Amino acid sequence: MSTVTDAPPLAPAPAPKERPPRKRRRLTPYWLLLPGILWLLVFFALPMVYQASTSVQTGSLEDGYQVTWHFATYWDAVADYWPQFLRSIVYAGAATVLCLVLGYPLAYLIAFRAGRWRNLILVLVIAPFFTSFLIRTLAWKTILADSGPVVGALNSLHVLDVTSWLGITAGDRVLATPLAVICGLTYNFLPFMILPLYTSLERIDGRLHEAAGDLYARPFTTFRKVTFPLSMPGVVSGTLLTFIPASGDYVNADLLGSTDTRMVGNVIQTQFLRILDYPTAAALSFVLMAGILAVVTLYIRKSGTEDLV
Amino acid sequence: MITVTTKDSSKNSTTKNGTDTGGGDVRLSGISKTYGSFTAVQPLDLTVPQGSFFALLGASGCGKTTTLRMIAGLEEPSSGTVSLGEQDVTNLPPYRRPVNTVFQSYALFPHLDIFENVAFGLRRRGIKSVKKQVGDMLDLVQLGEQARKKPHQLSGGQQQRVAVARALINSPKVLLLDEPLGALDLKLRRQMQLELKRIQTEVGITFVHVTHDQEEAMTMADTVAVMNAGRVEQLGSPADLYENPRSTFVANFLGTSNLIEAEVDTRNGDEIVLRAGGGKLVLPVARCSAPTTTGGKVLVGVRPEKISLTHADEAGEIPAGRNRITGTIADSSFIGVSTQYVIDSPVCPEFEVYAQNIDRDARLVPGAEVVLHWNPAHTFGLDAAQSLLAGTVDSAGVETVGPDEGAAA
Repeated sequence: MSTVTDAPPLAPAPAPKERPPRKRRRLTPYWLLLPGILWLLVFFALPMVYQASTSVQTGSLEDGYQVTWHFATYWDAVADYWPQFLRSIVYAGAATVLCLVLGYPLAYLIAFRAGRWRNLILVLVIAPFFTSFLIRTLAWKTILADSGPVVGALNSLHVLDVTSWLGITAGDRVLATPLAVICGLTYNFLPFMILPLYTSLERIDGRLHEAAGDLYARPFTTFRKVTFPLSMPGVVSGTLLTFIPASGDYVNADLLGSTDTRMVGNVIQTQFLRILDYPTAAALSFVLMAGILAVVTLYIRKSGTEDLV
Repeated sequence: MITVTTKDSSKNSTTKNGTDTGGGDVRLSGISKTYGSFTAVQPLDLTVPQGSFFALLGASGCGKTTTLRMIAGLEEPSSGTVSLGEQDVTNLPPYRRPVNTVFQSYALFPHLDIFENVAFGLRRRGIKSVKKQVGDMLDLVQLGEQARKKPHQLSGGQQQRVAVARALINSPKVLLLDEPLGALDLKLRRQMQLELKRIQTEVGITFVHVTHDQEEAMTMADTVAVMNAGRVEQLGSPADLYENPRSTFVANFLGTSNLIEAEVDTRNGDEIVLRAGGGKLVLPVARCSAPTTTGGKVLVGVRPEKISLTHADEAGEIPAGRNRITGTIADSSFIGVSTQYVIDSPVCPEFEVYAQNIDRDARLVPGAEVVLHWNPAHTFGLDAAQSLLAGTVDSAGVETVGPDEGAAA
């Protein structure tokens, strides 16, 4: 290795030698992209095309479906199921806000105050993933059971009176109400909020806090003017990672909710697997996707993250 | 090591001017910092006169940055107090202290532009119209054009000036600089040294400057405190420290010193006569910081540029009354303005001599027998109980000094 570089080579000698590696280097990115592209093509692009065509088909299960460019399916789907769409957005939005409120202090603690406990707490944050999503959600059924201690405590503290008044619980129950669904969503997606928040907080140079303090900023002002703005990339990716899957989720609404708390995910699931109305299910999926894209685009525009380093 | 030229003594007067008022002095009394069993700063008393440019100089890990951070309030002292003028600020959080810091890596806010970075301190104190002040300050550091750029769009030197502007705009009682030029290349560092000195003269604020670069400390500061192993070894004007080091650490850390072990022979009025390897050396009493009992050991020091070299054949022409040592030239390197010789002498194996290239004697080549001689007034005496190598490149920062060695502070 060293022998080549040690001797000063003649001027024309290295030119032809260098050419082949340079060409190969230019191709390297594409080779690296290939597995990902193939994966996307087979498991995302092709099913998308397939579903898109399904959504404009008509027919019945017995006679088979044909592409008839029947776009009215979309209109019918939205007209019939707009309350479920709205609910999805509201529940997912509420869960995202709750995740942010619960997750930010914890992420802040892990990033700046945890010291040698940092790794342990991070493991605890993702520890629930070692149990199945379904089992964890079912566990909430026990936690929020009508005769359980949680509901009893909330009742005696008159919290349920407030939530009933807000319309997210009914009577003495928490289970089968919007609150239960929102709690389940919050619980299940909390790690997806904490981890990106932690990553962006952890990257903040501690000396910036010192500099802000040195420049007359009280601790809370330092947070407001320095820490929070610098953690915006984490806030944005955390809220997206929480909101997007939460708005398409159907397990929480299915296990913890009632027929009054059905989200659009539940509708799609029923259409696909029980009613077997594939065109409507496909159309609903596309409307949901378009809705999420619109919300996300608006959000990113608003939060102006491209301005951050 | 870098050769240090002797500074003119005019700097002393600037220090004195500020001392009389005493209103804005930084006073550290018995201040110390320990982390568990490790003592970063030994109990320390230090007064920085108002309006002076004060440097804390030392190798990494000597406690200089910790001392600075205790003044800023970023580090809580384990004992002692910090006062600014009449005010005891020991228990004040950083945001309540009339002190600002230029951080080593600048710590500019990456999400704010240059204007907002500089305006940060003013806005936190509730000042609404900052435009004029920020504009003036950016002009002072010659960055008026860059006001709307983000920090990462500026070069290192420009970022450094933003950091200075951001701190200075608050007119602090004291500006603390933590190795502010460490990240810059040599040429830019020179330029910024002059720039900082100019700004300091212009605004008249007390600067406390932490550095490991002895040349930087000497160029900029009125007063330098040399720190080693958590204590101040010696404090004084750059010229005073250079000419009269009182410990081997200072003698070696600031420039280069030749140290010879010698034995006290007789005391003759205000001169001490010493014996070293058969020869006799004369040392002024006033320049000896060590006890001098007859028969006791003393380290005799002399700076390389004070010494003249004469070929052994012409030894008779050397005027009487000069200290002399014989030796053989082991090595010589031509630097341009001077030639640096390493002399192998019975009293000191590697004696360094810097000779101005005025009239070069062609016989002074490696292997030549020479006589080294110098004016006894340039000799200084140090306590022989300390390591000869303290403060040299190899041992810098790790050398701990003996307790009886009388750290002069």
